[in-house]
Amino acid sequence: MSVMQDRLGLSFRSTLGAVIPFFCAVIGAIIANMPVSVLGGVLPAPMLALMPIYFWCLVRPDLMPPFAAFTIGVLEDLLCGGPPGVWTASFIAAYALIDRERESFAGLAGIGAILGFAAAMLAAGTTAYLIVSVYYWHLPPLAPIVIEIVVSVAFYFPVVAILGWIHRRLVGPLRGDF
Amino acid sequence: MANGWKIARGRSNAQLPLAIVAVLAVVLVLLGKAQSTLFDRARASFSDWTRPTLEWVSAPLEGAASWFGNMGHIFVVYRENLRLKEENARLRQWQNAALVLDDRLKRYQLLLNAVPDPSLSSVTARVIGRASRPFLDTMILDAGKSQNVKPGEAVVDARGMIGRIFLAGDRTSWVLLLTDLNSRIPVMIQPGNIQAIMAGDNSPTPTLDTLAQTAQLKAGDQVVTSGDGGLIPPGLPVGVIVANGDGFRVALLSDPDTSEDVRVVDFKLPQEQPPAPSPNDLPASAAGLKPEPPAPPTNNSQPGAATPGNASPSTIAPNVTASKPLTATQGASAPPSHSAVVSVPVKLKPVPPSDANPAPPADDPGNQ
Repeated sequence: MSVMQDRLGLSFRSTLGAVIPFFCAVIGAIIANMPVSVLGGVLPAPMLALMPIYFWCLVRPDLMPPFAAFTIGVLEDLLCGGPPGVWTASFIAAYALIDRERESFAGLAGIGAILGFAAAMLAAGTTAYLIVSVYYWHLPPLAPIVIEIVVSVAFYFPVVAILGWIHRRLVGPLRGDF
Repeated sequence: MANGWKIARGRSNAQLPLAIVAVLAVVLVLLGKAQSTLFDRARASFSDWTRPTLEWVSAPLEGAASWFGNMGHIFVVYRENLRLKEENARLRQWQNAALVLDDRLKRYQLLLNAVPDPSLSSVTARVIGRASRPFLDTMILDAGKSQNVKPGEAVVDARGMIGRIFLAGDRTSWVLLLTDLNSRIPVMIQPGNIQAIMAGDNSPTPTLDTLAQTAQLKAGDQVVTSGDGGLIPPGLPVGVIVANGDGFRVALLSDPDTSEDVRVVDFKLPQEQPPAPSPNDLPASAAGLKPEPPAPPTNNSQPGAATPGNASPSTIAPNVTASKPLTATQGASAPPSHSAVVSVPVKLKPVPPSDANPAPPADDPGNQ
């Protein structure tokens, strides 16, 4: 009986550890799309939902599968109010890039890791820009998406520290396989 | 980031799931283009659901942002006060002139028997959220369908037009700002009454499209809504023309970043109603007969329903020629005494007054 309880407890903890990355991205999407501007609309909100996707897709892809990235993209589309599917497709494009270039990204450290995220964000931004251009059959101005990319990359510095802490202190001990 | 935690090396087994979600994402984009209402409904429900939280969160943050934003103004408050006093005095003169001109305009309209301007009703709403994303500039209001707010209605602040409602939930609504990429509104540039379409491009100053090649613009010209299409009321102030390189753009009068309370303007062109039928229009009068007084209402008769018992002879009068259909709905403005007569769709032909059909007395309500 106690063995079964131990196994159930272990399974629960393992599941909890597995869903933490997904919920980090969900929380990121909600925070980034809160229609409240602290800076009075001077700067756009960073793409917080993409940061956990990039982080765990690189570090532990089994905790951030493509379907999770897809769901987070749908949530981002739902919350941000733009054309449906734009950020979903963009997140999938970024995921595909990370998945394809994992060897290259995995070797990056420090500033290099930030540049890795910048590449993923660039892929996502470019995909979004192209989809919106086709969607409206009109080239939107480049400045807003460029600013979005720059702000997101700048915010990755503090966010990656939080994600690293969550990974080390919560996900790792709960999973017990790291 | 290689230090601190173990990084998974090598290719994952995500190729097939990745291909599946890529196809799903493309389907989602296409579905969103074809059936955007699905997403819109979900968004409206979500904003309705989060409205209390938004109000709770936005109030202190807006206050803090306003406080920080106004910090610099403290140092110029004296000079600003003098400038405002001078401006106020000048505007009072303009207000007097506007009142005189408004009065004169009304008298001219009366003299010319001009169609009066449709009256506007509006709902005052509070801004509970703002979002500036790369492809969307929007704000969220705390009024929705339950306050009679409908998509397409114009949103104005104290200075001018801000945008249009593009999504209305039960208790919240989303505003498409004039600066948004998707915003297109018909405008008129004064002086000259030049018609154009003002298009947002996510920059603070929208562009002017579909402008006649012969149009002569100059910086400082006023831009107002033209009212084309009948959805936005004409004459709402929008902005002023500013030169931008070789072309012109519109500097908006409103400031969506600082607006706290806005008005949602409900504008409907009055539907044209046919005149109420007079006794002369009735077939019985056309046949030279005196109209029969209306039958007293019975308990089992439904209002507006014609039964053999309450149908007047006019409804079964033979040889009725008509060119204009008249239904109970159209005859709703007719006096109650005729309601049973016009309840059955009958085509009537207006009969010119003649000796055989004397005009009704002036106090007959059917002839008013």
